Amino acid sequence: MNDVALLDCEQAEGGVQDLIRDLALGPRIALLPLYDLGRTDLTAFRGLMIGLHADQRYLSSRRAQLESFLAQGGTIVVCGHVGHPFLAELNLFAPIPNYRVEDLEVNHEAAHPVWEGVEMEHLSRRRGVAGFYGRGSNPPPPGARILNSLGPGRHPVDFECRPAVGGRLLVHAGADLWGYHGSGSTADRIMPQLLDWITAPMEAW
Amino acid sequence: MLALLEGGTYFHREAIEGERLTGRFDRTIYAPELDAAALAGCDALIVADRIHPAVLRRKRPLLLGYLATGGTLIVLGENRAQDWAPGVAWEFRPTNFWWWLEKGTDPGHRIAAPEHEIFRYVGMGELVWHYHGLLTPPPGATSLVEITPEGDPQGKGGSILYDHRNVGGGPGRMIVTTLDPFYHHGSFFMPAASRFLGKLLDWTDEAFRASR
Repeated sequence: MNDVALLDCEQAEGGVQDLIRDLALGPRIALLPLYDLGRTDLTAFRGLMIGLHADQRYLSSRRAQLESFLAQGGTIVVCGHVGHPFLAELNLFAPIPNYRVEDLEVNHEAAHPVWEGVEMEHLSRRRGVAGFYGRGSNPPPPGARILNSLGPGRHPVDFECRPAVGGRLLVHAGADLWGYHGSGSTADRIMPQLLDWITAPMEAW
Repeated sequence: MLALLEGGTYFHREAIEGERLTGRFDRTIYAPELDAAALAGCDALIVADRIHPAVLRRKRPLLLGYLATGGTLIVLGENRAQDWAPGVAWEFRPTNFWWWLEKGTDPGHRIAAPEHEIFRYVGMGELVWHYHGLLTPPPGATSLVEITPEGDPQGKGGSILYDHRNVGGGPGRMIVTTLDPFYHHGSFFMPAASRFLGKLLDWTDEAFRASR
């Protein structure tokens, strides 16, 4: 049963095609063309994954629909920077000013099922190059759990919060988490764990 | 008058409203809202990279009409231009983010038409970074930047930037590239992409906003 929907933006980069082709994970995901959102009944899904290529102006116009999805207990995962805050808990991205390599090291802040067993060094660098995971923060709302941060300034890069309308919101201020699928490192754990977490019953906070 | 077509993403917003580039576009148009009125009076329209291709396919009649009346389209990368723009022939290549890790590596970029006006602003320092596929310029187009066969993993080579005047025998002009500077600039990633965008806009200032 594909009970998680991924909004598709028809972009080659970002790993959507590899994810959908995957024999184990692909069948768990419904690929939903972004601009079909408005005519889609989301009650069929437990989770909605939104990537960095999404038209956030369009998502702002669908805010009532997204809030009603959250209110019924749905989970929304947002990757990328926030440029148009399309939910109350999303704030405009703040880059780390004049970041240097050490500012881009990923720090583990709190345990979370999605990142269980993932080594931070596998997020900090690809082929020795830093910066893919994140370069700043989507500033978390009050009460959010900071899961991972960047650099000595501990700039939040991943957080989970419980939106006022209900449901769960997981926000990653960087390239799409599904881009780590097939990386050949412990970062491969993210995608199956993300799908498991979305479909598991909501934990008490 | 220079207009920008943008797709509502965070990286388009940062490029338009962020403090690093300001005042470079006379008009910005949200792609789903593109209509004939928005195009009125535009000497050139930059189609920012990584707009949802479904929107561009839907707006194809308007974009073709704009070319037919003498407009200039500057089409940046990852827009699946081959699905909606006339004459665009594109081939996929895997993105090589890593070319610079080995010192002395020649990734194969060559300026093919150094006399072209764009090179008064854009130089190799802005051009040499990764690209998203190779173009075969149609007859009548001028290839501006090429990748040598040695730089191409498939050994064929091709263009990553060309200028096509009198598209289809009409008055329209298309400048097409497989570089995607809005995405990288707007994501605060890759200074070379930000430099390319800045120099490209220096050229569009001169070419299409000269009366300012």
